[in-house]
Amino acid sequence: MSKRLRVALPLAGAGLLAVAALADPLPPDATYRPLPTLPLDAVKALDEAQKPQVMQRQQALFERRYDLSNRPIANFMMSGGRKPVQGGVRVKLPAGVTWDSLSAMGPNEIRERGLLPAGFMPLPHVKQATGGQVFPNQEIDEVGRQELRNLRRFDVDFDLSDRFTPEFPPPIFLTTHPELGDVSHGQLLTIKNYYQLMVGLLTPVQMEGMRLLLTPFPQEEFNQTEDRKSADQSLGVTCLDCHANFHTNAAFHLTPDIRPQAARFRLDTVSLRGMFNQQIHGSKRSLRSVEDFTQFEQRTAYFNGDHVSAQRKGVNLPDRFDQVPMMAQMQNIIDFPPAPKLDPMGRLDPSKATQQELAGEQVFLGKGQCGQCHAPQTSFLDNNMHDLKLERFYNMGQTVNGQVALPDGAIKTLTLRGIKDSPPYLHDGRLLTLADTVEFFNLVLSLKLTQEEKDSLVAYMLTL
Amino acid sequence: MIRFVAFASLAIALLVPPAFGQTTDPASPAPGNPGGMLPGTKQSASSVPAPRQTNPPDQAFIHSATVGGLAEVELGKLAAQKATGRAVKEFAQQMSRDHSAANDRLSTIVKAVGIAPPERLDEEHKAMQVRLQQSDGAQFDHSYIQGQIIEHQKTAQLLEYEIGSGENAELKDFASDLLPTVLGHLRMAQAIAAEMAQQAQAEVPPTNREKRK
Repeated sequence: MSKRLRVALPLAGAGLLAVAALADPLPPDATYRPLPTLPLDAVKALDEAQKPQVMQRQQALFERRYDLSNRPIANFMMSGGRKPVQGGVRVKLPAGVTWDSLSAMGPNEIRERGLLPAGFMPLPHVKQATGGQVFPNQEIDEVGRQELRNLRRFDVDFDLSDRFTPEFPPPIFLTTHPELGDVSHGQLLTIKNYYQLMVGLLTPVQMEGMRLLLTPFPQEEFNQTEDRKSADQSLGVTCLDCHANFHTNAAFHLTPDIRPQAARFRLDTVSLRGMFNQQIHGSKRSLRSVEDFTQFEQRTAYFNGDHVSAQRKGVNLPDRFDQVPMMAQMQNIIDFPPAPKLDPMGRLDPSKATQQELAGEQVFLGKGQCGQCHAPQTSFLDNNMHDLKLERFYNMGQTVNGQVALPDGAIKTLTLRGIKDSPPYLHDGRLLTLADTVEFFNLVLSLKLTQEEKDSLVAYMLTL
Repeated sequence: MIRFVAFASLAIALLVPPAFGQTTDPASPAPGNPGGMLPGTKQSASSVPAPRQTNPPDQAFIHSATVGGLAEVELGKLAAQKATGRAVKEFAQQMSRDHSAANDRLSTIVKAVGIAPPERLDEEHKAMQVRLQQSDGAQFDHSYIQGQIIEHQKTAQLLEYEIGSGENAELKDFASDLLPTVLGHLRMAQAIAAEMAQQAQAEVPPTNREKRK
């Protein structure tokens, strides 16, 4: 043995010891999805028995946090003209404060006195420990009617009142046919009807992209295995089951980008309208093209960022050179709804807008600072991620309905074009109305807006 | 017989706090995914796991939390004696105090579920203890605080793991109650480390600072 080796070996031993001494990790199921331990019928019986309590817990949370009453904005509908837009601030205040007295306090005082309105805190999944995709009843019913495909879970139901979700089915606007307006014919696009609705409107490549976006593939809760939450062996879910008509139906799931389970935040489905101008994709992953995102959703939205579980349940990986670009091209021709009061630069046309809307635009671009990230000229986006640091206002680590309230970190800027069509708001849907978003940002950015300024901001956002 | 059963369930209801999954209070421990429940798990009437049982995540949690808690107290006592910086000394005293209280609560729960918890430090924490015993002065303060940052990071993840994957409601409740405190400790340790780094920088003469670049 050479002299050098004799010196090196004990050192290597010390290194090994150091590594071994540090080995005290969490069990694998802190990152990976555990294999099921019970047969499906036993799990289903338990889940069904727990379900009333699961739904009551989440309902109690919603009622504590929000005013859920029916108070639509008068004479105002979403773009399809079928559903009113709910108005007013719905987040409930803690006892003893007003919105003005709260915004006069600093973050430290609000945190120390526990005064951050609960509705501003992260919103848990209806069953955080299980998570997964949850569809609104209208989507479940319509997909059931058209395709005989079951999107209902036996463990949970959708938790938010229909009042605070987008109109269903949402209208579809195409950048390639602005002259036509809504081309949905008032129907929900499915694998059954897309061809007759779209032939003659789309190119062959777009048609194939659409077909793939409407084809069901196995998903974490909807598959053939015992680890599923649909009663029957499921054909799976489609991209447009959540992004209904390329918009959103407010279906939700948990972010695939965080572990362990209790730390994952809820994700409200984002609209695909205006995809052509969006440069970063995924609330946390900041993928740089819709092609990347489309390809990877089979690992993330479908399987919680767990490629191991995906492989077991039957992942479908669209071909990058052929299928993915077609799916991307289809998504990239989805337009925003018309905004007749906006000029080509995204600014209000003074000959069409009201005084209040114009005043709102001034607040948006000035005192309210909204326009710094939601830049009108670039589809109210800045193609960046930002950290609002909400945790300045609350004590981290509180557990609410199984979710641990932790800092959200940087989240991508979402567009405000067509925003009246997209409740609930924020990446997790914790805010129910546009007036809620105004109060939220008034507090988080210490804006000290007057009531008049807040009202004008809401009026302005309704024009976008 | 019926009367006996009714009496027995009443007695159980009185013994068992309402936190055992039968409440709709969102602050109480949330139901888990039955998909991961072990065969043979006893269930209460409401189809939630009956109290005083543990699943493998609970057991992993009991082990790691007990050892981590012991280490916090032992190392806290050591640092309360040996630390030279006032902030480090006070932090160490608080760790030994806060974690003693938490350890007592954990050990009561663990006794009730009938698991024998570890009674001594594991190799990792023993090695840390030896390293600290062998260092002094600013080096000790630095090592202790750096170790505390890592310990509290690991503990936070461990508590979150138990909240999401555990089955025993008392353990999950314990984890939920402890987590904000542990994250508070982590912020304190990070602030002390930042303060120490600034001081160390200030103590280096400007000419040396230039050279080090």
